Amino acid sequence: MIRPHDSVIVHTLARVFTPIIQLFALYVLIHGHDSPGGGFQAGTLFAASVILPVIAFGIQGSLAVLERRAIILGAVGILLYAGIGLLPLILGGEFLNYGELPIPGMETSTRRHWGILGIETGVTLTVAATAVSIYYSLRERGEEEEK
Amino acid sequence: MTDILLYRPHFVAFIILFLLGMYIMVVCLNLVKKLIGMYIMQTSIILFFITLAVKEEGTIPILMPSALALPPEAYANPLPHVLMLTAIVVGVSTLGVSLAMVIALYRKYDTLEEDQILEKIQ
Amino acid sequence: MTSSLPGFLFAIPFFAAIAIPVAGFTNQKLCRPVALGALVLLSIVSVIGLSKAVSHGPLSHEFGGWAPPIGIEWVIDGLSGILMVAISIVSLIALVQAGPLVKKELSGRLIPFYSLSLLLIAALGGMVLAGDLFNLFVFLEIGSLASYVLVGVTGGRSLLSAFRYLILGTIGASLYLLGVGYFYAATGTLNMVDMAQQLPGLLDSRAILTGLLFIVLGLSIKMGLFPLHGWLPDAYTYAPNSTTPLLASVVTKVPLYAFVRIAFWVFGMDAVSVQIPVLMVLGWIGAVAAIVGAYLAIWQENFKRMLAYSSVSSMGLFVLGFSLGTETGFAGGLFYVLADTLMKAALFGVAGAAVYQCDANTVADFVRLRRNMPWVSIALLVSALSMVGIPPTAGFFGKWYLVVGALEAEKYFAVATILITSMLTALYFFRMFQHMWAEEPLPLTEPRVLETPFPIRMSLGILTFGIMALGLGSDFVVGLIFESVIPEGF
Repeated sequence: MIRPHDSVIVHTLARVFTPIIQLFALYVLIHGHDSPGGGFQAGTLFAASVILPVIAFGIQGSLAVLERRAIILGAVGILLYAGIGLLPLILGGEFLNYGELPIPGMETSTRRHWGILGIETGVTLTVAATAVSIYYSLRERGEEEEK
Repeated sequence: MTDILLYRPHFVAFIILFLLGMYIMVVCLNLVKKLIGMYIMQTSIILFFITLAVKEEGTIPILMPSALALPPEAYANPLPHVLMLTAIVVGVSTLGVSLAMVIALYRKYDTLEEDQILEKIQ
Repeated sequence: MTSSLPGFLFAIPFFAAIAIPVAGFTNQKLCRPVALGALVLLSIVSVIGLSKAVSHGPLSHEFGGWAPPIGIEWVIDGLSGILMVAISIVSLIALVQAGPLVKKELSGRLIPFYSLSLLLIAALGGMVLAGDLFNLFVFLEIGSLASYVLVGVTGGRSLLSAFRYLILGTIGASLYLLGVGYFYAATGTLNMVDMAQQLPGLLDSRAILTGLLFIVLGLSIKMGLFPLHGWLPDAYTYAPNSTTPLLASVVTKVPLYAFVRIAFWVFGMDAVSVQIPVLMVLGWIGAVAAIVGAYLAIWQENFKRMLAYSSVSSMGLFVLGFSLGTETGFAGGLFYVLADTLMKAALFGVAGAAVYQCDANTVADFVRLRRNMPWVSIALLVSALSMVGIPPTAGFFGKWYLVVGALEAEKYFAVATILITSMLTALYFFRMFQHMWAEEPLPLTEPRVLETPFPIRMSLGILTFGIMALGLGSDFVVGLIFESVIPEGF
């Protein structure tokens, strides 16, 4: 278990900033088409928004289980990316050719738009889960040292 | 020489950072400092690539439906930026793996200085 | 012609690498069948890919439907097809062989081992198939990350060697990326075919020269070419015995392939030998590497360390072969690379089996193998004869074509180097045979050593058979190389 941080300033700022960081991460992900941003940046921001309250408020043993399972979310992200990529390959086109995705009722350019958004979401999930689990595994060794 | 410093300062910055990273990696005995040097070296290469993408009077390479389409020379080159996103991700993964290794080494040998680790191995 | 085969060749081991943690979560015994099944499927698909590429011409796969040079493409042509077949078959055999060793050395951590090995194989496949320079870098780094972890798994000494390997490997990959940056700055494209069309006019620009220099330096660190091989002996010696066959047989060959691709297909034979004399310099470096590696191997006591220096020497011979500049030299170099994947897998498999069964680490300890482990001894005998270059093994034919190529190019220093290296190789291998067979019998109180488990025996047997078969069938393979691999300009 991590001890919470001592200072009131850190507590208040963490409480204020965490939802702002998450909202900004979502903004960066969705606006990757039109402005600098995209999957990897959003994933790192999400990971930061998860790690910041852990550093500030500490974490009890029961909540630590969630961090251990975080990597499953990462696997879901890879599956989303690879699935959206492989579907056109299996249906006769090329890998990652979103124009051939089997979504009815859209023209090719709109399908490409949603395809890119899909894989960026997958990338975000994977990067966030990986960064959180790296932090978790680095911290876990440190805890065993303290004991 | 002043020619390069006046008109191409980014190359000078890249060279200084690259050599600084290499020097840190070679000279410092602490493992974490070596990793810092490695990351500085990778960042300098990323800087080099990004400076290839800059154009004078270039604008963001996004085609807005409301704006008029400019000739291709007026957009800044997005390809090096995209390549460097990938390179940054690769650098972060390498840093993650190396930090895990450093922690495992610390658990086993109780020190992070390379010469002390080598002594303990012998 | 376009085809989906390159995509499948990458997707099969990649999906297996992702599926193994999922399968192993429920039942740990499922990891090995999933991994081996994926590799069997990969071998079959790569043989199909090679046969199609030889008969119909290069198969290319454009990602996302965007045509090159704007889009990314992956290409199976003769060279990448042959290497893909070699990688998939040898890694299948190496993973079969690793089965008993993983249980003993890695204390049953099956899931990370198989998952990382398959990720490494997927990344090597991606490197071999890549059609543009930056994709090569990305897969180079993915494969390297997997191999750093695989080397350092058993903790202690191997962890420090893995850390050194990581630092040096990252320097190498960063230098490669820097070289690609210079090429991009000078030509404006990253696609290999497109760059090959633009380069002839640009050969006297300093950016191209610097880029080529950085790329050669970076790839030499990754290959383990002589002055830049510092990570290699420690990494091979202290890595767990379950991974060293895979590591030694294929991981260093793929950066060599990258260099050959850039030198002969992107630059062209004329550019790298006449206008920028890279091949001449590399020829001399290769010759020095071959002799120094073989010489250093003689003085090693630890068997795996001896094999590591032997690998350094072999890499020197490959570079020497490719730098000769004649068709026969190129074919000889490529054939010797294929033979060496089999030989190194067999030798490191023997090392693993010896440690597993009777804890034989040093050369002198191999006396315990005497008359007790026939399969292992025969595998060692055949691979050693092949390394020295005695007919009819594959190594002999490889060196034969190299010598013929060197005589055609009138580079007599290469002929001398190959002969001297063979003699030095004979020295350090026959020293082992002396320990194993020619000394006095041990006292009867020595405990009886059993034969190795079935997977190790079977894979060593297949590798031995493969070395002999490759030697006897060498004219078929070399004919294939002459017909479909040699680039223009020779």
